[in-house]
Amino acid sequence: MRLLYLLREAITNLRVNRGNVLIGIVTTAFTLVCFGVFVLLYLNLKSLTGTLQGDIEVVVYLDPGASEQVVSLVQKRLGAESAAVALTFVSKEQALREFSEQFPAESLLLEGMDGNPLPASVVVRLSPRFLDTESLSAFAERVRQLPGVTHVAYSQDWIDTLTLVVSYFELGAVVIGTILAVATVTIIANTIRLSLYTRKEEIEILRLIGATGVFIAIPYVIEGTILGAAGGGLSLALLKGIFEFFRLELNASGWFVGVEHILPVFPRQVSFLLVMTGMLLGCGSSVLSVFGLMKRRHR
Amino acid sequence: MIQLFHVSKFYDRCTALDDVSFRIDKGECVILTGPSGAGKTTLLKVIFGAEIPDSGQILVQNRNVARLRGGAIPYLRRTMGIVLQNFQLLPRKTVYENVILPLVIQGVTRRLARKQVLGVLKAVGMDHKQTIHTGVLSAGEQQRICIARAIVNSPILLLADEPTGNLDAELTVEIVELFKRIHAEGTTILLATHNQRVVEQMNGRVVHLQAGRVVSDDGATS
Repeated sequence: MRLLYLLREAITNLRVNRGNVLIGIVTTAFTLVCFGVFVLLYLNLKSLTGTLQGDIEVVVYLDPGASEQVVSLVQKRLGAESAAVALTFVSKEQALREFSEQFPAESLLLEGMDGNPLPASVVVRLSPRFLDTESLSAFAERVRQLPGVTHVAYSQDWIDTLTLVVSYFELGAVVIGTILAVATVTIIANTIRLSLYTRKEEIEILRLIGATGVFIAIPYVIEGTILGAAGGGLSLALLKGIFEFFRLELNASGWFVGVEHILPVFPRQVSFLLVMTGMLLGCGSSVLSVFGLMKRRHR
Repeated sequence: MIQLFHVSKFYDRCTALDDVSFRIDKGECVILTGPSGAGKTTLLKVIFGAEIPDSGQILVQNRNVARLRGGAIPYLRRTMGIVLQNFQLLPRKTVYENVILPLVIQGVTRRLARKQVLGVLKAVGMDHKQTIHTGVLSAGEQQRICIARAIVNSPILLLADEPTGNLDAELTVEIVELFKRIHAEGTTILLATHNQRVVEQMNGRVVHLQAGRVVSDDGATS
């Protein structure tokens, strides 16, 4: 009977206070949308960095004058490296062919030159364990010492920059998340406080007939939790809408044809996180405001 | 049942209670009387734990109210019924919902609670209005509902602060009769009033307060 009464009281609170509750839900939703945008940006950048990191290849350019024996030795030494998982030899001719395919406009430049200026190379795919900056540069340094090797290239620099950006985003997400969480707690706590003030007399009556602080507080905590969850749900709908719009725009732009796998992702965990964050913030802020008020009116 | 030892209470520089000592035995009916500002309400408040005395001790059923922690106060109040002048009913709830509240708080089963509520509503003559919202009831009816709510959990002590303060003479008689019936069933009553007619009708032990001090007590020798 008690549980039913407490639930009914919470629903009555929400109904009586519906104007403030609606404002609370909308503001909570917008705050959580801002937080969600940040989380999605962070997750997508992190996922992009991971994808690009996995695609890193080291290109070992060979001396055009290197004999077949030297080339074979280089390949043998590269194959013996524990970091290397696959080697692909790209001959001078193949390099020219690939260049012409990838850059048809620029291929005319090569036609005027004597012979093929592009060097032969060995493309080395590394084990994921060796894709960190230190292992990569150590590997490149070792390879550079091999006879017949003129240059070692890998696209680590800008991936390092991207990783740095992601770490800044991580920090930003924590700072902004904290600020927005405080804002949400304040909004919900004020809504609950208003609800408490409008029912001040009822609370006094309940105290008079022997209700404990917890018994009085529970309907307000349920009210705050429902408000937070509704805010979280609304923010989820808004964020999903924004996200889908953004995705469609990206698809329509045609920039990502063939590499759709790096298009933005909306993990299921984000949906869960938003609703749970809303609920927890709602519950926490109502606990804060109810017990704050109870402390002041001890008896 | 209730023992007060040298209880004093001050609000800023005003003395509400000044060295008050007396005892109320089980089954007694005590009328606390005196002019407005004599300290009647403060005395009731220190008994049901709404105020903490500045000095002295108050024993209610062998519990020292002056030393009770805030968390223990609700449990103390569950053993007593409290009726105040300004009714203190929830206007958005029906008569039945108001009266059942103390039982909901105490976790009494629905069946037992229903039986008890219907019993007390019949006793105060309000059983035909159980589905009506209290906001639309007359003053006399509201006070009867308050009394029903105060006695629904069969308390051993009933505290009433000017229960007829907002009622006309006819309704006052009705309410006094109700209190007399409750007392006859064995409930200890402490009723504060400045209405001389109520004092006469109740026919109980009279404790007279003036400027926070007990100036006379019918039962001082008992």
